[in-house]
Amino acid sequence: MLELTNVEVIYSDVILAVKGISLNVPDGKCVTLLGGNGAGKSTTLKAISNVVKTEDGRVTSGTISFGGTRIDNEDPAAVVKGGIIHVMEGRRVLRHLTVEQNLVVGGHMASSLRDVRARLDEIYSRIGRLAALKDRTSGYLSGGEQQLLVIGRAMMAKPKLIMIDEPSLGLAPLMVDEVFALLKSLKAAGVTLLIVEQNTRVALDIADYGYVMENGRIVLEGAASDLRSNEDVREFYLGLNLEGERKSYRDIKHYRRRKRWLG
Amino acid sequence: MIDFLNYLINGALVGLLYALVAMGFIVIYRASKVFNFAQGELVVFGGFIVWWMVLAMGMPLAVGLPLAFVAAAVFGLLIERIFFSRLVGESVFAMVMVTIGLLILIRGLVLVLFGAQVRPFPIIFPLKPVIFGDILIPRSLLFGAILTIIVGLGLSWFFNRTRPGLRMTAVAEDHQVAMSLGISVKRSIAFAWILGALLSTLGAIIYLSGKSLSFLASDIGLAALPVALLAGFESIAGVLLAGLIVGIIQGLVTAYVDPAVGGAVGTVFPFVIMLFILFVRPTGMFGWKTIERV
Ligand SMILES: Nc1ncnc2c1ncn2[C@@H]1O[C@H](COP(=O)(O)OP(=O)(O)O)[C@@H](O)[C@H]1O
Ligand SMILES: [Mg+2]
Repeated sequence: MLELTNVEVIYSDVILAVKGISLNVPDGKCVTLLGGNGAGKSTTLKAISNVVKTEDGRVTSGTISFGGTRIDNEDPAAVVKGGIIHVMEGRRVLRHLTVEQNLVVGGHMASSLRDVRARLDEIYSRIGRLAALKDRTSGYLSGGEQQLLVIGRAMMAKPKLIMIDEPSLGLAPLMVDEVFALLKSLKAAGVTLLIVEQNTRVALDIADYGYVMENGRIVLEGAASDLRSNEDVREFYLGLNLEGERKSYRDIKHYRRRKRWLG
Repeated sequence: MIDFLNYLINGALVGLLYALVAMGFIVIYRASKVFNFAQGELVVFGGFIVWWMVLAMGMPLAVGLPLAFVAAAVFGLLIERIFFSRLVGESVFAMVMVTIGLLILIRGLVLVLFGAQVRPFPIIFPLKPVIFGDILIPRSLLFGAILTIIVGLGLSWFFNRTRPGLRMTAVAEDHQVAMSLGISVKRSIAFAWILGALLSTLGAIIYLSGKSLSFLASDIGLAALPVALLAGFESIAGVLLAGLIVGIIQGLVTAYVDPAVGGAVGTVFPFVIMLFILFVRPTGMFGWKTIERV
């Protein structure tokens, strides 16, 4: 079980991005962390993997533990060794390497070359698309293919828990379905999942439990089935009332356009 | 015609020597994004270590050279530990300033450790040139070129085909992603400095064998810059080809243009190529273009 208790994250000693959140991810379950842009979702994941330190960020109070062991401000390599892997936002493939080289890097901790080979075969059989693309330079893959690749690369580490940040962002609906079908198959195989999403509908569909973040705090939590029927979530995050539907749709479009400018 | 071949071949061999020094530069740049202006000083320092082991201490080559490489590796590691490990994440400008500081520091260190005199460098490769018909080739350059090609292909294989090498390539591409996959970025950068120092020492041995050793030798670091640039800062195999191109052009310009205009064009020409590349194709011939997908 991954447990966060009153975790506070500060960037550059002054920017308080996560303001004391507590959440649990039980073994074998899928938990989703929802919320709008800037809510602090990515920061939360980066605090767990501790890549936040590359951005001059730090967990300044509270505790993070996994399987009973404290991991807050732990060396990122130790966190990965401990069984947690973080698939970062934005499909961060190693663009100049081939698909297979990316996967090998993901499995770099394997004990032997034979073990790497076995893991590769497992990924190729689970994600058929990657097998066909294995010698392609990953920077030239489509967005969906890249998303499958970064998930496959994470699986190469044989993690107990995969944290994945906005896997559906910018993907065509069919591709979103394919990515989430893969995540469901991982869940069925016993991998624990923590999924950050703005696409509330697909996230609550796979999740057992959900948290909603706003402004660095958790403002709502509950079983996924409850959140699906919760009026507030429906209105603000699923955009199911007539007015809201149009509005949130425009918000998402606006957000994507901005992303592209920044990226 | 024979003259031409002579210039061509010698130019190519000198170019491969530049390529070897450029490799040290590139290995460090790839891992740490540090543009190391002290690369030539690393060559000089490696040269002085070899001089000290072999001539000052009188060790036989078979002992002195391996020990010199060990000492160079330790030196590379120390540089990383002392200066660059705490600078991770600083601006490129800060890093460059530190390498300039390093340049001055190494010069001081050599003066203190080895004295200010010009030293003779041991004869590692016999002085007698290799002769094919009418073509004379310095033995050090010929063996050096062969070594350079072996090392270049070996490194290329290492960075693309082996797990430790791919870890370093991952670091070269994206520190944060590498870290998220459990790769120790620090260790990769430290190893890059060790490799950079080893390559510089090998460069010193080839460049200086049987010559005299002083700080003038650090010019080779400058001469290697256009090669690194032409190759693009990421490609190890590409640097071999870039070295050949720069070396041959320089050799021919020195032979045919310099006499006509009264000198020095050959030395400057690689930098003209360099400026041209900077304007036309800043990522070099084989460097990593920023792949943009929208
Ligand atoms: N590297 C950083 N340095 C400083 N502030 C940051 C950094 N990354 C994110 N932030 C700030 O932290 C807050 C939360 O950001 P983030 O965790 O990326 O939100 P989300 O993933 O929910 O969109 C935002 O206000 C953002 O501006
Ligand atoms: Mg985010």
